[in-house]
Amino acid sequence: LTIIVPVKAAVPNITAVRLDPVTHNLVREGVPLMLNPYDRNALEFALRLKDKYGGRVVTLSMAPPSGKDFLESTIGMGADEAYLITDRVFAGADTLATSYTVAMTVKKFFPSFNLIVMGEETTDSTTAHMPAQVASWLNLPYLYYVVDGEVNLEKGTIRLTRYLEDEGVYEEYEYNMPVIISVYKDSNPPRDISLSRKIQAKLSNLVKSVTNNELKLDPFCVGLRGSPTIVAKIEDAKPIPRKKQIFKGDPREAAKWLIENLTKEGVIRL
Amino acid sequence: MSSARICPEWPQVNKSEYKGIWVYIEHQNGVIKDGSLQLIGKARELAAKINVDVSAVMIGHNLGDLVKEPIYYGADRVIYIDDEALSVYIPHLYASVIVNLVNKYKPEVVLFAATKRGRELAPYVANTLRAGITADCTDLDIDVKTRDLDQVRPTYGGNILAHIRTPNRRPQLASVRPNVFPTPPRDTNRKGEVIRESLDKLPKPNGSLLGVKPVIKGDSDLPPVEKADLVVVAGRGVAGPEGVKLLIELAKALGGTIGGSKKVTDAGWLPADRQIGQTGKTIRPTVYIGVGVSGAIQHIFGMKESKIIVAINSDPNAPIFEYADYGIVGDYRQVVQALLETLSSMRKTN
Ligand SMILES: Cc1cc2nc3c(=O)[nH]c(=O)nc-3n(C[C@H](O)[C@H](O)[C@H](O)COP(=O)(O)OP(=O)(O)OC[C@H]3O[C@@H](n4cnc5c(N)ncnc54)[C@H](O)[C@@H]3O)c2cc1C
Ligand SMILES: Cc1cc2nc3c(=O)[nH]c(=O)nc-3n(C[C@H](O)[C@H](O)[C@H](O)COP(=O)(O)OP(=O)(O)OC[C@H]3O[C@@H](n4cnc5c(N)ncnc54)[C@H](O)[C@@H]3O)c2cc1C
Repeated sequence: LTIIVPVKAAVPNITAVRLDPVTHNLVREGVPLMLNPYDRNALEFALRLKDKYGGRVVTLSMAPPSGKDFLESTIGMGADEAYLITDRVFAGADTLATSYTVAMTVKKFFPSFNLIVMGEETTDSTTAHMPAQVASWLNLPYLYYVVDGEVNLEKGTIRLTRYLEDEGVYEEYEYNMPVIISVYKDSNPPRDISLSRKIQAKLSNLVKSVTNNELKLDPFCVGLRGSPTIVAKIEDAKPIPRKKQIFKGDPREAAKWLIENLTKEGVIRL
Repeated sequence: MSSARICPEWPQVNKSEYKGIWVYIEHQNGVIKDGSLQLIGKARELAAKINVDVSAVMIGHNLGDLVKEPIYYGADRVIYIDDEALSVYIPHLYASVIVNLVNKYKPEVVLFAATKRGRELAPYVANTLRAGITADCTDLDIDVKTRDLDQVRPTYGGNILAHIRTPNRRPQLASVRPNVFPTPPRDTNRKGEVIRESLDKLPKPNGSLLGVKPVIKGDSDLPPVEKADLVVVAGRGVAGPEGVKLLIELAKALGGTIGGSKKVTDAGWLPADRQIGQTGKTIRPTVYIGVGVSGAIQHIFGMKESKIIVAINSDPNAPIFEYADYGIVGDYRQVVQALLETLSSMRKTN
């Protein structure tokens, strides 16, 4: 099995984010990056399949050069190889351009992959677009919110169980591989990162860098120019004004006070 | 038209050929999802501004009279495909069918409810058209001059609202969070056009649905956090499973359900699907009651749109009081006990 796990360098602290005043894009330079938490669940899913059926797991990320460190973490967790896709021409990409770059990298380096496994969404931009878009570029079937998978190597198929939270159901599908999936964020709790493996990855320079010299993508298909959407304006979200009435004192009095207020508001019934 | 160079992987589009607003109608077991109906209402508003029609698009098998419903909720037209090949939902198959319809009719805007299935379907449709898409919008407007859709979405933990536009491509696609717009009234006297389309080329399914099973809720008989009007939320301050039990009692007494902070679900005192916050569920109940919750920003993200926020905390300086309508400073055991007793005695006298 060849399993590709695209991962994102997410901004860890969403409250300390800076946006470029002109493009309104996230300023990634100088911001410490971390592996998008849900991508660890995706990597865990891939590693479990590898443990069971054999093969190799490759992580790749379109990220600034500082993304090398978290890619080493993915090797620390058990990935066999990692690719850092980095080039100034890729900057400012929306999800269409990002998914194009990721899909074309997979096509070039791993044309006979069996499975692409991605996170449900990222914690910083949370679009959940990428898995479907990668599938669209590669013209392949896909499925979101997967919690479990069982491969039939002979038939070249995979049985996927997925969880639809808002409908409260599990669905079971069978797909021919190759297929692209995203992993439900509350499934497949990730294993620990082995520090020694991570250090080994750093020392042996296991993360390969890929630039557009190798990919040769048309500059009009990537980065800002390859992005149909633009962030036209950003504004601070206005917080909902709150009453901020605080009661200090006897718990019985407090309880009465609260129940009376909630009853007056018409939101609880006695 | 503009001769600006574009990616050769993209088709040229002539913007002026694209007209009208589409709502993709998601349905399951013969019922249309609320999120789709709500979008018909919003689409009407947008359409009025630029003087175009609202079309509802529906695909599936054995649709029957369901195809008339979008008209009753305000659509001018329903375009549907009813075909056995669509009896099972397979994402890339459904998406390809919608792409074909878009290419035939050329609407300028296509809206999807951001349900789990909607979020799965919409980006494939957009990408195959090489068009832009904005995720999980909480508001939409349209620029009368440029006919650009102003797509508003909260980002970075909801602290920032981004306005996203797609000035050079058509159609403009967006998924919209359910329950941000009201459901329009159903009026069975409304008339509209119903067009049946047939399936043309369809990609190979390459997969099949083997079965569906409902989730068995082992943890409690209380409703999920995203479905309740009142949610009592346990924080680390309740100190253990016993404290959580007491809060479940309170939730039951108030006709609500129970949720937890990340510290509580991480500790296993409640299942992970009851976690409120940035990496858990976002809820907008009528009443949120946080007990022993400090009010970390990642938690606030998941509950700050609640109608009324109540906080019970022993620390008068806990950040959650900044977000509260009603706050009680005190030990949760005493306050919750008092609440339970007061409720039952007030109920007896009523
Ligand atoms: C304020 C703001 C709002 C935005 N809104 C939109 C929008 O509505 N529409 C739009 O098209 N773009 C939008 N963008 C751009 C978008 O954030 C970037 O394109 C981003 O790189 C990918 O989107 P995501 O993080 O939402 O990924 P998701 O689609 O949420 O990520 C899903 C999975 O894709 C994989 N993945 C994601 N990024 C990478 C990567 N760089 N390399 C490898 N794998 C990856 C991971 O497995 C991840 O778990 C917005 C940007 C900003 C600054
Ligand atoms: C990337 C990231 C994502 C995160 N996502 C989430 C998320 O989705 N949801 C989430 O909740 N958190 C999330 N967190 C964690 C968050 O930062 C906080 O650590 C967490 O919300 C704190 O939980 P708490 O309020 O229950 O506990 P604490 O912060 O420990 O607060 C306990 C509170 O209980 C009070 N207390 C103590 N004893 C009593 C008593 N006897 N009676 C009454 N009050 C008492 C204390 O005064 C205190 O205010 C995330 C963190 C990170 C870094």
